[in-house]
Amino acid sequence: MTETPARKPRPRRTFSAFGDVRKMPSEYEIMTHAQNWTLRENRTSAFEQNPSSAPNLWFLTYRDNSPLQAQDWDAYRDPDSLTYRAYVNLQSEAEAKVAGVLETHAEAGSDAQLPAGSVALLGHLFTPTRYLCHGFQQVEAYIGYMAPSSYITNAAAFCTADFLRRVTNVAYRTRELQVAWPDSGIGSAERSLWETHDGWQPARKAVEYALVSYDWGEAFTALNLVLAPTLDDVLLTQLGQVAKGNGDDLSWLLTSLLAADSRRRDRWSRQLAELTIAQRPDNRAVLDKWIGRWSQLADDAAHGLGQLLASLTEGAVRADDVAAHARAARERHLASLLDPASDETTAATG
Amino acid sequence: MALLKREEWQGFVRDVDWSYSYVDDSAVFPEWHCGTGKVPREAWSAWEEDYKVSYPEYVATQREKEASAYAVKSALQRSTTFDHLDEGWKSATKMHFGGVALVEYAAVLAELKMARFGLNGAWRNMATFGQLDELRHAQITTFFGHEFIGKDAQYDWTQKAFHTNDWVLISLRNLFDGMMIAPNVVDLAIELPLTFETGFTNLQFVALASDALESGDVNFANMISSIQTDEARHSQQGGPTLEILVEHDPVRAQWVIDKAFWGSARAFAALTGPAMDYYTPLEHRKQSYREFMEEWIIDQFVHTIEEYGLKKPWYWDEFMRGLDIWHHGLQMGLWYWRPTLWWRPKAGVSKDERAWLAEKYPNWEKVFGDKWDVLIDNVNANNLEATLPETLPWLCSTCHLPACNATQSRDGTWRVRDWSLQYDGRTYHFCTNGCRQIFWKDRDNVNHQTLIDRFLAGQIQPMDVGGILGYMGLTPDVMGDDPDYEAWTKDYVGRPVEGISLAAQS
Ligand SMILES: [Fe+2]
Ligand SMILES: [Fe+2]
Ligand SMILES: [Zn+2]
Repeated sequence: MTETPARKPRPRRTFSAFGDVRKMPSEYEIMTHAQNWTLRENRTSAFEQNPSSAPNLWFLTYRDNSPLQAQDWDAYRDPDSLTYRAYVNLQSEAEAKVAGVLETHAEAGSDAQLPAGSVALLGHLFTPTRYLCHGFQQVEAYIGYMAPSSYITNAAAFCTADFLRRVTNVAYRTRELQVAWPDSGIGSAERSLWETHDGWQPARKAVEYALVSYDWGEAFTALNLVLAPTLDDVLLTQLGQVAKGNGDDLSWLLTSLLAADSRRRDRWSRQLAELTIAQRPDNRAVLDKWIGRWSQLADDAAHGLGQLLASLTEGAVRADDVAAHARAARERHLASLLDPASDETTAATG
Repeated sequence: MALLKREEWQGFVRDVDWSYSYVDDSAVFPEWHCGTGKVPREAWSAWEEDYKVSYPEYVATQREKEASAYAVKSALQRSTTFDHLDEGWKSATKMHFGGVALVEYAAVLAELKMARFGLNGAWRNMATFGQLDELRHAQITTFFGHEFIGKDAQYDWTQKAFHTNDWVLISLRNLFDGMMIAPNVVDLAIELPLTFETGFTNLQFVALASDALESGDVNFANMISSIQTDEARHSQQGGPTLEILVEHDPVRAQWVIDKAFWGSARAFAALTGPAMDYYTPLEHRKQSYREFMEEWIIDQFVHTIEEYGLKKPWYWDEFMRGLDIWHHGLQMGLWYWRPTLWWRPKAGVSKDERAWLAEKYPNWEKVFGDKWDVLIDNVNANNLEATLPETLPWLCSTCHLPACNATQSRDGTWRVRDWSLQYDGRTYHFCTNGCRQIFWKDRDNVNHQTLIDRFLAGQIQPMDVGGILGYMGLTPDVMGDDPDYEAWTKDYVGRPVEGISLAAQS
């Protein structure tokens, strides 16, 4: 063997964790790459404590040994490349828009002019969503806590905050509507509607089940691939359309603005699902099983809300149509994901 | 007509708990994640933060903060400040970047855990802001550290440090895993926001910021003071949690806070102590580590625990005595095992520096002076070999730091004492009585192999210094060395070598 003369290594330009990269990593990558030390290589356990401590066993079971496996989770990139700085810029602008809409409508006294039917609709299908969205917020926080890469944790972390944003907007509107319609039950009836009204029970059942789905991959599938895309279609898209039809522009605008967060969540979640399949085709069967199980719960939830919507619009919409519309929205989100024929294309782009 | 005031509607954001009926409450809030213990589940409904914040306020304020933090950074980008910084100060920043960036990320995970398992909706919401805050800290620290890699490879450890098995990092992971990512949320809220964030981070962030300014490192000062402004918000998760725990289980509250304070104090003695009393150039030191501890930590800590009806920790006297000892012993250990560091540790014992140390710590010469004299004489005799390690230090089975604390015997002499105990057919060694007691109380959880245990078990191969450095992830371009031997030994050139120094040389 001929010896190559020892060359002085070029000075580093970036973290050695990126390997020998030709291209300089982006600011997003520098700030996001391999931040979670419980995922370090050659570890005997996630935590630097007794390997059989309860936290170590939990992470072993629900993260490291999840049925959803990939060779390299750190290959994942959020398609929006969100950093903290980008997130607060994005959302402070988004919230400024919301504030503008709220202010304009408050000045116009829109709430006082709402027909009773619209008030009832909002009080049954909009203001109670703070419970549902808070449950989603908790599940998303869990996904972030347990995710097998900081690239995934960060996306879930911003998404957790998005749910808080939504709860906050719902809370604000709850108060405004309560002031305008003190006898409507808005601001006081939500919890009992959420806990006991027939229309809400399948949704509550779904989120309660999601809260106790501790495998991180199943939690991600349940919420980000199935429940949220399905129920957002009912609670943002379809409710917004009905509101618009009723002349309730404020609710229509607000739900449309909030839907931007859902679309961003759909983008990164879809990308992550694709990556798992591209890296390991066996994940298709894993996702398929979970998607099947959670779709049933999601469809029931959408149907329950559909019945509520039907009863509040005096039959202008049908529960079956609401559920079908929601299912179609989810199926678009998941389109061809589990399709065996898509193997090569996903692998090529993944 | 303007927007409604936050107070008018925020009650709804906070009121998001409901009664489960499809699953059990104990399945949603498993005991070992939530740790309600003796506190009745419904008692948590009284949890209330003092200072409220809403989402739109949050993103607006934080956007401004980010804009100004990065504006300062880019304004300084082309300045040559960095090249003129003292090596000792640079070492303090390298230690900070490597020792802190990923701890901020551990705090992201901790906050996410509370955002999921916190026992009250308002708590979970506050933790949702908390995880965003910590994400900010992790990202800004990582990014600022990254900037210097081209100038100095040791800054690579900003990201790398916590992925290695370096002894410093094993110790820190052990501490922060135990008090941030892994514990139940009740303990977590008392350990992280209350004990650590309202106390110790002040020391690292406020005190170090002033040293940074003195040292001319405006960029660093800007970064850490901007980070510190977020703490007031999310650190308030500790108070309401402690209040409820104290009411129902004061014994546990006392233990959790005592354990977290002790662990934090050990880690700060290892890192912040040397940075303040040895690395920061003498003319830029504002106060000694001990003075900082007294002003920023001890008064406030004692005040806080008394406010909640708790007592000073059982180890208080040992801790207070340690303020004159721990970090000096650790400084010597860090310097001696300098190839295992990702910074260039300054010895900091020139005549002037020693005079300062002796003034701040009256026993310093008696306990440490003669040991440094041996090192000084070896350097001056061109016998650097004798100042380099051939073996590993004995590491404490609780804090994983070198067991090198001298204590004074009744006859007045100072010696390093071995604190040990038998458990499960094995002898465990500790740096202090406090560490030994904590191990015993928490033995099932903290029982974990130290680097020495791993070495003796043959997990580190080959079993020599090279093998150990490899196991620790050290590469030749990063391994620490003294930045300037002459700086601290030239005062002593030509003096007669005697006593212990002579013995060590022969
Ligand atoms: Fe922080
Ligand atoms: Fe913090
Ligand atoms: Zn110890």
